[in-house]
Amino acid sequence: MKPPAPRSGSPATPAPTPSPAPSPPRPRSEPHSQSQTPPNTQPHAQPPPPAQPPAPAPVFPELPWYRCLDALSVTLLLFGLAIFFSLPTLRGSGRDLDYWENARRFLARFFPPDFSVTPQVLTALAETAQIAVLATAGALVLSFPLGLAGARTLSPRWLVTLARLALNVTRTVPSLLWALIAVAIVGANPLAGVLGLTAYSVGYLGKFFSDAFESVDLDVARGLRAIGASRIQAFQHGVWPHTRPLIWSYALWMLEYNLRSAAIIGYVGAGGLGVLLHGYQEYHAWDRFCAVLVFILGLVTVLDLLGEWVRRKVTKRAARAPA
Amino acid sequence: MNRRASPTSPAADAGSAATHTPAPTSTASAASFASVPSAAVPSAAAASTRATARSDDAHILVSGLGVRRAERWLFHDLTLTVPRGAFVAIVGPSGAGKSTLLACLAGALAPGEGEIRFRERSGRLVAPEHCRPRIGCVFQRLLLVENSSVLANVLCGRLGRHRWWQTLFGAPRAEREAAFAIVADLGLAPHTHRWVAELSGGEQQRTAIARALFQEPDLYLADEPISNLDTYLTGRVLGRLRQEAAQQGRTVFCVLHDPTLVDRFADLVVSIDPTDPHGWRVRPVRR
Repeated sequence: MKPPAPRSGSPATPAPTPSPAPSPPRPRSEPHSQSQTPPNTQPHAQPPPPAQPPAPAPVFPELPWYRCLDALSVTLLLFGLAIFFSLPTLRGSGRDLDYWENARRFLARFFPPDFSVTPQVLTALAETAQIAVLATAGALVLSFPLGLAGARTLSPRWLVTLARLALNVTRTVPSLLWALIAVAIVGANPLAGVLGLTAYSVGYLGKFFSDAFESVDLDVARGLRAIGASRIQAFQHGVWPHTRPLIWSYALWMLEYNLRSAAIIGYVGAGGLGVLLHGYQEYHAWDRFCAVLVFILGLVTVLDLLGEWVRRKVTKRAARAPA
Repeated sequence: MNRRASPTSPAADAGSAATHTPAPTSTASAASFASVPSAAVPSAAAASTRATARSDDAHILVSGLGVRRAERWLFHDLTLTVPRGAFVAIVGPSGAGKSTLLACLAGALAPGEGEIRFRERSGRLVAPEHCRPRIGCVFQRLLLVENSSVLANVLCGRLGRHRWWQTLFGAPRAEREAAFAIVADLGLAPHTHRWVAELSGGEQQRTAIARALFQEPDLYLADEPISNLDTYLTGRVLGRLRQEAAQQGRTVFCVLHDPTLVDRFADLVVSIDPTDPHGWRVRPVRR
């Protein structure tokens, strides 16, 4: 049986096809099996295509030499140069000092630690923890919207610029200076510590949060938008599940960091362990100073372990994902 | 353009009457769908009016659709009328523009030219971007929320039906049970509360299909929904989609590669073909 002739095909002037070899026009309505290879018995089969010169074999696309100068290698090179030019800093004062003897003499005053101050230290420790917890909570609340505003993928450009500028400014001012400003405003008490550390932490958490939001593959949220979800729903179900572990672990890190900071900002009168440290330093009570340090060390260690454990719990399921 | 205006339209080629059988009630018979391309009207300009006039049960009206990529038309002047409840297979080589066509149908991509209209159950014609909750998508990259459970992902299918504050603290119990029924039907019951990131490729794909099924849309757009599934599940998934189309009148667009599957499940084949001058062809599947 003869296959049906291509009725819709063979126009007077065939339209240009993007295929390299001119093929006989195929009928639009043919099933695949018939349209693939029209036999030669067709009533008006096309003449065979003219012989074409053989296509040259593809050449391996060599990259030019300067392509190895990517951002990473250039950065490494510059870093090496920077190390070389920074070496003069190591000269010190130039005077003939016995560094080892100095260190030994100073550190010897730290031992043995004087633990008779334990009650005061514990009180101050509790105050430090309170400052850190409140400052972290305040920073979380403030930096969530700032992080959203600073995410390039989620916010308009002007808002991103504004938010990032604000975050950078906040981060530039060291925590001690923030505490000093707060002390100047509300006086030398723990409230100053909370305010100062909040301001400082917002700079960090806001940046981390916006980076976390930017790291999310937005196609998932776009997919949800495509099946009808609103913007807020797409964020809640498409972006938030991805950022949640990151945000919690950043918040935990910030809590640890704030605990350490809160132990220091007492130096400028903002409450906590720093007040004790400052006092002992003034009176050269280095053994008591050392006792406070031991308590801080214990606190930081416990927090570190705890934070690590919680972080593992939070991110474990994500990490178990197949590659 | 001229070719479609020629008297030998594909419908005539298929030898079927040009009468239009209402699709949703009938089990998709060859005749009813063979007449579909005849509604692909001669001129793009007259497309929408003409199609509107003659086929009230037509679900999707595509007229003069063209998408250009890198100075080249992927497809051009694509005109197509699909009745409600048809299973349309989209075939074609890699990179031809199958997913692009689906993106246009989903309203996610603005085509270079032409327009797409859906007829709602009320009879109103709307653009795809205005009826997103009623378009269910199985994306090629699945686009599931990996750090969330299978059930939560499936529940995402009906987000478009609710205001955002209604879904803020989870879905109602009835919805959760309905979602679980679909999850169980696709053989994912043991994984209901596992994270999508922990699942295998096929399980993830079934989750994406379950999300679309749970949405109960008027139109399914499935981009290779069976690429990771075994033969049994392939038949099950495509059978379920076909059943949805035939019984519920939910039109299905499905990118398929296997010609046997196309012949077994599809009513209509849109082939996106770079060797064709217009980049596309439409043919009915004869059964």
